[in-house]
Amino acid sequence: MALCGVISPSCVYACTRFRVRRTKLLSREAYRRIMRMSIPEVVTHLGRQEDYQEIMDLAGDFSGAQLIEEAVNRSLARSFRSAMAIAPGDLHTLTGEYLARWDIANVMAILRGTVHDVPRRQIRDLLIPAGELDSALLDRLLDLTGCGDVLESLQDWRLYPALAEYYRICGEKGVFARIEDELYQQYYAGLLGLAASGCSGCQELIAYLRFEIDITNMKNLLRLHCAKEACDITVVDRTMIPGGNIPLALFRRLYGIGTEEEFISVFLQMAIAPVLARAVRELRQDPNFSSTDAAELVWRRWHQHLRPVHELEMAITRVRLQQMDSLSRRHPFSVLPVLAYLERKRYEVANLRAIARGKAFGLPADRIWQYIVM
Amino acid sequence: MPIDEIKPTRAGLLIVRRRMALAERVHELLSMKLDGMMLELVRLTDRAALQRRELEELYTMAREMAAIAAMMEGATGVLLAALSVETVPTYTPGHKNVFGVHLPDLEPVAVRKTLDQRGYGVLGTSSVIDDAADAYENLLEAIIASAELEGGVKQLLDEIERTRRRVNALEFKVIPELVEKRRIIEDQRDEMERQEWTRLRRIKKIKAKRAEKL
Repeated sequence: MALCGVISPSCVYACTRFRVRRTKLLSREAYRRIMRMSIPEVVTHLGRQEDYQEIMDLAGDFSGAQLIEEAVNRSLARSFRSAMAIAPGDLHTLTGEYLARWDIANVMAILRGTVHDVPRRQIRDLLIPAGELDSALLDRLLDLTGCGDVLESLQDWRLYPALAEYYRICGEKGVFARIEDELYQQYYAGLLGLAASGCSGCQELIAYLRFEIDITNMKNLLRLHCAKEACDITVVDRTMIPGGNIPLALFRRLYGIGTEEEFISVFLQMAIAPVLARAVRELRQDPNFSSTDAAELVWRRWHQHLRPVHELEMAITRVRLQQMDSLSRRHPFSVLPVLAYLERKRYEVANLRAIARGKAFGLPADRIWQYIVM
Repeated sequence: MPIDEIKPTRAGLLIVRRRMALAERVHELLSMKLDGMMLELVRLTDRAALQRRELEELYTMAREMAAIAAMMEGATGVLLAALSVETVPTYTPGHKNVFGVHLPDLEPVAVRKTLDQRGYGVLGTSSVIDDAADAYENLLEAIIASAELEGGVKQLLDEIERTRRRVNALEFKVIPELVEKRRIIEDQRDEMERQEWTRLRRIKKIKAKRAEKL
């Protein structure tokens, strides 16, 4: 498959449209204005925006921060489906593959809801049909009564092979977590496989995906390590995503390390250290923060069995998006502008949700700012 | 036999004395139990107050973590993680005996879970969900501990109230009535003895007069 290998006019057209769409996303100034508003004012403001007109239709059913979250979720689903419609040919396939993470979340919600007898309406409110599985199919899945029936109806889904082996034990304790982890591993494997088939910007996309996988693996390793009881190495193996720059063996080795020197030397071998240092430099406005400082910071949290700091996670996400943006500028007619738009839109929705929820819980503005990705 | 029906006889006096001895012993024991329960209540109340303060702090922390989780993952993400719970946290009720009072002893079951036991996938969630889950597990444990202590305080207060009523009844009603009854019986018996003595002297005098006449 050749994704925009030879740049076709339709590909140039689609990429240009995505770049134009990106310029329409909310700016820093717009966020500042929204931050000064109360929740009803935010609702009114979003109601006037072309992208968030759903908010007025939903005002009868929801209110406050819930209304904003529902509206931005629907806007996200509409934008992503429209992005799929714009993307031509193989770009469409890659976009679909990229958006499959929303399908995973929806399928898992339906499976869990079906097994735990959660009211259908409650599950329907949780679904964000931003992937390939459309609302009609999700509604059909919601009407099914058994876990097996749901799996059977998903036979045409691209990630079905990961589900097939769980047909007999679906609904047993701990199975859904395993299914979910396997679906995400399959998701990244599919994306890497598709990108490896060659296209304009695919090499950069692969590098970006590997970088994202490394960060996710490191975060999850910290999460597993901070549990009170040390978890089995098989759990570490099960939850690590293969395909990153850092081999899984290095993560396994890191998991067993108990001394500072060894930990820091292994951590510095990873490509994450400079990224983390950059994120901390930006977060703390400290230009002298080096990779070794970053490794020591991680060691301190590792040693004390603490999870990653949320503000730092957001800072790393900012660095990741900046990298995606610079890649998309360097390769304007490739898959990268499409994915840059999708990621930016995703975080715009996350930002509006964070502002609404933060305001609803009465958090101060400077605290909310720490969770905004721009 | 009700106290009013006790006759002013030697047997009646013995009954009253026996009852008095019993009432005084019971009063002494109940007073000791009351003192013990009061000490236990003070200890338990202090612990319950501390636990309640800790509970309030944990509640604030859990609310804040829920807020941050809702900010980062959205209410949808938090609800999806909540849907994954496969083992409902609960407690096993038991009791411990303190001065004969059954105080609740609640044992948390499946409250604190490992990442693997929580039911959600590691790859589909972020660390903020773990933090929120941890915060709510701590809160739930504190609620169970607080319920145990506050339930104990309530039971102890009820028992103290009951015991105090008994002690007061013994001290101000039963024992004074028995003392009064004993006094009445002793007075009546003294009176009867004096009457008997007077009667005997009178008879003796009559007999002496008759003997003089003869």
